[in-house]
Amino acid sequence: MSHVAFRGAGEQPLDGDFDFVVVGSGAGGAAAAVTLARGGASVAIVEAGPWRAPDDYPHSSYGSMRDLMDDFGQQVTMGRALWPVVQASVVGGTTVVNSAICVRTPGDIFAQWEREHGLSGLEDPVLAAQDRLERELCAEEVPVSARGRSNVLAKAGADKLGWSDSHYMVRYVKQCAGSGQCLQGCRGGQKQSLNLNFVPEVRTRGGTVVSCAPVERVVFEGTRAVGVRGHFRHPQTRARGAAFFLRAKKAVVVAASATHSPVLLARSGLALPALGEFFRAHPGTGVFGNYDEPVDMNVGATQGWASVAFREKPGLKLETLAIPPELVASRLAGGGRELMERLARYRHLAMWCHAVRAESTGTVKPSFFGGRPVVRYTLDRADMERFRMGMLLLAKQHFAAGARSVIPGIAGLPYELSPDQLPLLEDAPLDPRAYVAILSHLFGGCVMGRDEKSSVTDVRGRVHGVQGLVVADASVIPTNLGVNPQHTIMGLAQVFAQALLDGERAGTVSVGVAA
Amino acid sequence: MLWLVRSAIVALYPSGGALPGAAECGIDESLARFRREAPTLLWVGAVAGALVFHLSPLFTVFVPLPAFLLPAGLLDKHASRIAGTRVYLLKQAIFLVKLVAGLCWGAHPEVRRRLALPPLPADPGTWRTS
Repeated sequence: MSHVAFRGAGEQPLDGDFDFVVVGSGAGGAAAAVTLARGGASVAIVEAGPWRAPDDYPHSSYGSMRDLMDDFGQQVTMGRALWPVVQASVVGGTTVVNSAICVRTPGDIFAQWEREHGLSGLEDPVLAAQDRLERELCAEEVPVSARGRSNVLAKAGADKLGWSDSHYMVRYVKQCAGSGQCLQGCRGGQKQSLNLNFVPEVRTRGGTVVSCAPVERVVFEGTRAVGVRGHFRHPQTRARGAAFFLRAKKAVVVAASATHSPVLLARSGLALPALGEFFRAHPGTGVFGNYDEPVDMNVGATQGWASVAFREKPGLKLETLAIPPELVASRLAGGGRELMERLARYRHLAMWCHAVRAESTGTVKPSFFGGRPVVRYTLDRADMERFRMGMLLLAKQHFAAGARSVIPGIAGLPYELSPDQLPLLEDAPLDPRAYVAILSHLFGGCVMGRDEKSSVTDVRGRVHGVQGLVVADASVIPTNLGVNPQHTIMGLAQVFAQALLDGERAGTVSVGVAA
Repeated sequence: MLWLVRSAIVALYPSGGALPGAAECGIDESLARFRREAPTLLWVGAVAGALVFHLSPLFTVFVPLPAFLLPAGLLDKHASRIAGTRVYLLKQAIFLVKLVAGLCWGAHPEVRRRLALPPLPADPGTWRTS
């Protein structure tokens, strides 16, 4: 029983006993599972989505939405604006569709967690885990041959403006070929998404992977988590299949994502006051630069340049992001012949984007019908000012790089802005409905902390008030980071998993006490 | 409902310019596939967007006719104006129609050829069973 995929409704239900059952196979789940497996434990990874190898990856954006994204990518925030919440549902999780950007957890974040949430003792083990991860997953700077013109222009623009930080990204990509296909999954296998390394390693070490298997509930005996149950779901038809029950002799590790983990715990009957609260994100959007010469942004690394020069003030991360014509078509304003004329400029467009280190918080709760996650989230005025400032910075960067105009995509502003129209951006509306944005980096919902009233887990991810239940994904992160979170999620997950192994050896694995 | 969505898409991505329009890019096959494969809610959203498109000419070009009965010039003006509406929910509904259409249009081999991009092979739609 090394990999069990979909089982139909008429087939034998799946039952199994393991030391640890890990729910989710993304950055948190796969990193935790491999640590547990390396420690000699028997591990089952249970993943809602199917297992797709690089040969199975789609080529098109439509295929990416259908085959890789959670619920066809249709989830949006419920708030003043309807902004998509981007997550994958596939073995390897969002690491399959992201750009594998590797940024260490900033030191100020650990200090903030200690100061505001009483979380001490994380910095050293997380950084040590990140050291190992960088070696194992071949973190390297985007090679010269894969940079592409958009990334090179971004660097030139930032350098010309004298920004204190402007760099080609370090990513978990081994000898990037610059195919511009990160968002559809890297068919060449250069991107080290976790379905290519940690998940297979768990199998090699005797573990089991159960795919196409959304967990419906964590099962408790008294106050102890003893396993998970659910029904298989067909990856194509979404038909409900056979039941499964996976028993965890030592602990259940929930790493189903910042939207699914809190909802799974709520559906399982946990009623902690902070459950589903303190949801945060890095909302972001892009500004197109319109250049005289072709940029061909889809040639080269999808994301190859970044700057954290504005991370602390006003609270922004700036990056390049190449999107294919399928998505540019809807992203550009207008319809009819006007839209077609704009699309004819595709080769001359470069999209650079920002991620706002937003302070606003929201909630993630199960829907009344069906129990799916409902994300309520709206940016406050201060965050919208950061958001607008980010767009202004990107526009300035484009002009510094030689763009003849920028396309901000803000309702109420002209379609294109020339350099002398930049003041219009300074006065752009602060209503989130005026912008086309997405939420890509998600945090919270099961946040860590010392206080049971304001947190869900302790400093090692152990859920307050129950035994044998650990959360090991972005949902435990109590603040935003201001940088891409995959490295932090993996580091935390490995620290939590190691604590489980250490606790087992000390005979305290099932004791959910604060550290 | 397919024809309703299709006619909105063809008006939003018309033929006759530097790039082929949606009608030349296999929109029928793509829409049928989308109808078959997408979650119901997403399809309902696309239909709602198409309804908004067809029922709003009175407010954009001041003609009390559904969009599918408008002459070509007026239809193009309507497509431009409704896509730029300031009414948020209407804008989002039209955005969804544009997104569904763009996923088909932008992946078409002829569009990609004109944009100096290689053609995309068919999505395998496969997964590992062992």
